[in-house]
Amino acid sequence: MSEYKGGKSHKIKKKSSLSRRLRFTLDPFTITMIIIPVLLFTLFLVIPLGYVLISPALVAVQAGYSPISAVTSSDIIGTNLLVDPITVTTGQKIGLFPGMKYTLPSDGYILANGQRINLVKGTVIEWEDGTPYAVFPNGTRIELPQDLRSVTIPYRSPFTGEEAALITIHGIKFEGALLNSLIVAATVTAIAVILGLLVGFVFARYNFYGKTFFRILAIIPLLMVPFANAIVVRRLFAQDGPISYFVNAVLGLPYLIDVTGIAGVVLTQVITFFPIVYLNVFSSMMLIDPTLEEQAENLGARGFKLFRTVTLPLSLPGLLSGAAIVFIFSLEDLGGPIVFQEHNLLSYKIFEKISNAIKGGASAEAGLLAIPDAAIYSAIILAIALTVFVSIKKYLSLRQYAMMTKGGRWTPRARMLGLKGHLIVYLLLLPFLLFAAAPQIGVLILGFSHRWVGPSPEGFPTAENFAKIATDPALYKGVINSLVYSFSAVLIIILLGFTAAYVVARVKLPGIGVLDVLATSPLAIPGIAIATGYFLMFSQPFLRGTPLYIYVNPAVALVISYAVRRSPFTTRAIYAGLLQTHPTYEEAAMNLGASKSRTLFTILLPLIGISVLSGALISFVYSMSETSTSITIGLANEDQRPLVAVMYDQFTKVEAYQIVGAMGVILIAIQLTSIVIITMVLKQRYAFIGV
Amino acid sequence: MTEVRLVEVTKRFGEVVAVDHVSVTIKHGEFFTFLGPSGCGKTTTLRIIAGLEFPDEGSVFFDEEDVTMKRAYERKAAMVFQNYALWPHMSVFDNVAYGLKLKKLPPEEIKKKVEWALELVGLKGMEDRYPTQLSGGQQQRVALARAIVVEPRVLLLDEPLSNLDAKLRLKMREELKTLQMKLGITAIYVTHDQEEAMSLSDRIAVMNAGKIMQVGTPKEVYESPRNLFVATFIGKSTAVMGKADEIAGDRATITTPDGFKLRGRVAVGYKLSRGEEAVAIIRPEDFELEPPRVDHNVIEGVIEISMFLGPYNRLKVRTGKQVISAYVDPDISFKQGDRVKLYIPVDDVILFPAKGWEYIAYEAVA
Ligand SMILES: Nc1ncnc2c1ncn2[C@@H]1O[C@H](COP(=O)(O)OP(=O)(O)OP(=O)(O)O)[C@@H](O)[C@H]1O
Ligand SMILES: [Mg+2]
Repeated sequence: MSEYKGGKSHKIKKKSSLSRRLRFTLDPFTITMIIIPVLLFTLFLVIPLGYVLISPALVAVQAGYSPISAVTSSDIIGTNLLVDPITVTTGQKIGLFPGMKYTLPSDGYILANGQRINLVKGTVIEWEDGTPYAVFPNGTRIELPQDLRSVTIPYRSPFTGEEAALITIHGIKFEGALLNSLIVAATVTAIAVILGLLVGFVFARYNFYGKTFFRILAIIPLLMVPFANAIVVRRLFAQDGPISYFVNAVLGLPYLIDVTGIAGVVLTQVITFFPIVYLNVFSSMMLIDPTLEEQAENLGARGFKLFRTVTLPLSLPGLLSGAAIVFIFSLEDLGGPIVFQEHNLLSYKIFEKISNAIKGGASAEAGLLAIPDAAIYSAIILAIALTVFVSIKKYLSLRQYAMMTKGGRWTPRARMLGLKGHLIVYLLLLPFLLFAAAPQIGVLILGFSHRWVGPSPEGFPTAENFAKIATDPALYKGVINSLVYSFSAVLIIILLGFTAAYVVARVKLPGIGVLDVLATSPLAIPGIAIATGYFLMFSQPFLRGTPLYIYVNPAVALVISYAVRRSPFTTRAIYAGLLQTHPTYEEAAMNLGASKSRTLFTILLPLIGISVLSGALISFVYSMSETSTSITIGLANEDQRPLVAVMYDQFTKVEAYQIVGAMGVILIAIQLTSIVIITMVLKQRYAFIGV
Repeated sequence: MTEVRLVEVTKRFGEVVAVDHVSVTIKHGEFFTFLGPSGCGKTTTLRIIAGLEFPDEGSVFFDEEDVTMKRAYERKAAMVFQNYALWPHMSVFDNVAYGLKLKKLPPEEIKKKVEWALELVGLKGMEDRYPTQLSGGQQQRVALARAIVVEPRVLLLDEPLSNLDAKLRLKMREELKTLQMKLGITAIYVTHDQEEAMSLSDRIAVMNAGKIMQVGTPKEVYESPRNLFVATFIGKSTAVMGKADEIAGDRATITTPDGFKLRGRVAVGYKLSRGEEAVAIIRPEDFELEPPRVDHNVIEGVIEISMFLGPYNRLKVRTGKQVISAYVDPDISFKQGDRVKLYIPVDDVILFPAKGWEYIAYEAVA
């Protein structure tokens, strides 16, 4: 009979069955578990970001100017080339004109009829009856060609004193910051994808002697050392740096190399971010069922064809998510632009405006009125990042992450390399990996040196920088602040991560997937957009006098920003732990009459405590090195500066690079310790940032 | 002691209907088994009774009380899980004592009860061990002790013996039955092993594709299957197709394509009409080599295989297109190609209309 029921009564039945199910599933405990993450993410992620996204409209209303013209100004999208990508400086030309008397400040020469006449320092050029003469310091006097227009003072190497050409690599730089940002992000992503794919493929498919060492080497670039890594890259590629020294003084070539501006930013980002692609591709490739490749081989696919038709498409999830993350990271990067003083990038423009507003203190203007442009630019960056995130969100979800990291279902299909393969690996891969690890290694050297301005560090090794940090309150307060902030953030993160992971893993209700997306989204949301959102939110005049007021108490906003930005590491670790813990353990307890909260504390927490701990540790580590909000919001109150803000100050204000290096060493030490604890003691997986 | 009643219980997982309008009453102190092939919805049914799964439709009653909206921890239905689910971070004592501590009993009483339960399952002296230090059989017994020590209204068991080796399984089967009778508790058991179901249960519900196909005592489901599924799923059998003629009361005769006739009884609740396609279900153990005294059929054929299996000889007899399986007296030996006459009582041939036969997705070969 039931088949003949009308559609209407059927619908009613369905509806009532859902509400019955909701009533059954949603006991007070479960409701609490859902409300906590939803509330926290709404308050501290959705609302601030929503604020940023609608800020262009608010600008039009509140600040009274057109967001369209702000966006379409040549500052943002101008296409005029500002500098040549590469310039070569061989010498300075001094213009001469008849009647003028000129004494050479250093050696120089003139070119006349294809002939070169060398002039030494102190030579005087003067005219007599319309004819130019050169009078040498020893009194010798020679006549110069009639049409003499200029004298050239050659560029000399600081190493050899010989003539040399200075090759300055600027990279392509346009008037528009948005254009530059997109070009940088696209370039960095493209190069990182190629490098990451190559390295990931070699590691996933080949065995060779020393592979473990190579793999460790390949993740060194992922040790986070904001500013310090870029400082080292800049030093390495300075005109008086070690690479110029090598080319000019060791190889004896008449060239000096200087990488600056956009090119420096791109270089730093590529070697910092390519391991993100590499690790994602690697774990994707390890998940490929080897029989798929074998089948393709049997059908005649070999070499590159096999790679292109089978291996590459199957590792696409890792490749895409890695590429997307690199793109977003590049877009929001601040360390590179600050160190290379490349201010024509969107992230830097936002940073500059917010930090100025914040350093200016609580003026009459608060929130949007203080930074209308920055809000619009942030909305652009956020919109781009969200678009990228949404298109790859299924690869970033908790579920996908848990699947990707499980691995080991089959024996990976790795082949031992022959002699030729070993030669290639050692002659190409090893130098490349060493080069990519150079910034972190350089930070270690810098931190233990008296200073490093020329080709090589001075006074290495010395502990004086650490002694200085330990004794100078302005410095050690940064370390202490960051420890306190990160620890407080971790407490929030555990609450946030546990509830979110629990709900996604255990509560079976429609719509729970939204929380999965929300919980992983901070991985791909630009920190600078969060900084903008928090500034807009926490600088509201009605908060004046409360601990939330950002001009007085940036600490609270900082802690919350760390908690939101770094929570995915804990959420993912706990989620993986929950998936590995069979729900029947909890069900058995509930069966015997244990309430859900009782089950949580007596069964679940003891069973997945280690996952919680290792996730929390990773979140802690990355809170310590958080950059975007630290150097914006963090500047508001001198006493409340976090470590990274102090590094920023040391770099920009006193140019104490070695102190920045020493602080980088502290960050590296914290990261290495955590890696050891998590992998060796807790026997869990260490999740690198961006992976 | 509790009576458990399911009324029109339905549970869907997406497209899959795991439990399909199941209604059944499990009596006080009864040992009741859900039996069916893998994936037929047995576990889901049990979990719905435990409150671990919420039915999309229908209700669950414990005695007169509607417990559908009661959560697992409010039901007092203790479950022994297929994987035991012993908590690895607790000793045997703590595992068993967990439910008692929840009741806030004084420590001495908890200790007494745990000792009682462990003694009952034969694990006295193992209190301090951890689950990983126990064998599969011991773990299973701890799980059992953990469930019975709280004196649940209903004891739920999800294939608790499936992870044990054959010998231990037999032993535990007996212990389980003794224990249940001693405690007088209502036990609901889930298995896909029909021998286990037959030997343990007061009554069995045979399930297929989320539906209950028949409820009855082991004898009833074996001897009077209500449908082709039960007839072929329970015990071993050969299905013989034919056309019905000579219908008289609940007796009918079918003529097979191979030409021989089979007389049997029409299954309860079915009717055959002349000329209708029918299926005769015959069990190998019902064949004899000598004509029995009762009304019987004779089937003639050629031995295809003869296999000595100890208590009986297993024959495969070809009558043409049809191959019939029979277990016969092991003292008489055959060789391949011998002609043989098999006798089977008319009462042991059960006839079903063939309509829907092709939908029974179960292999029914002896
Ligand atoms: N949580 C779930 N999500 C989706 N489908 C499920 C879930 N649990 C069970 N099913 C499906 O419901 C059907 C019945 O499953 P159930 O576990 O009850 O079978 P079972 O009879 O216990 O089988 P087995 O003998 O293999 O244990 C199966 O098709 C199964 O795939
Ligand atoms: Mg089951």
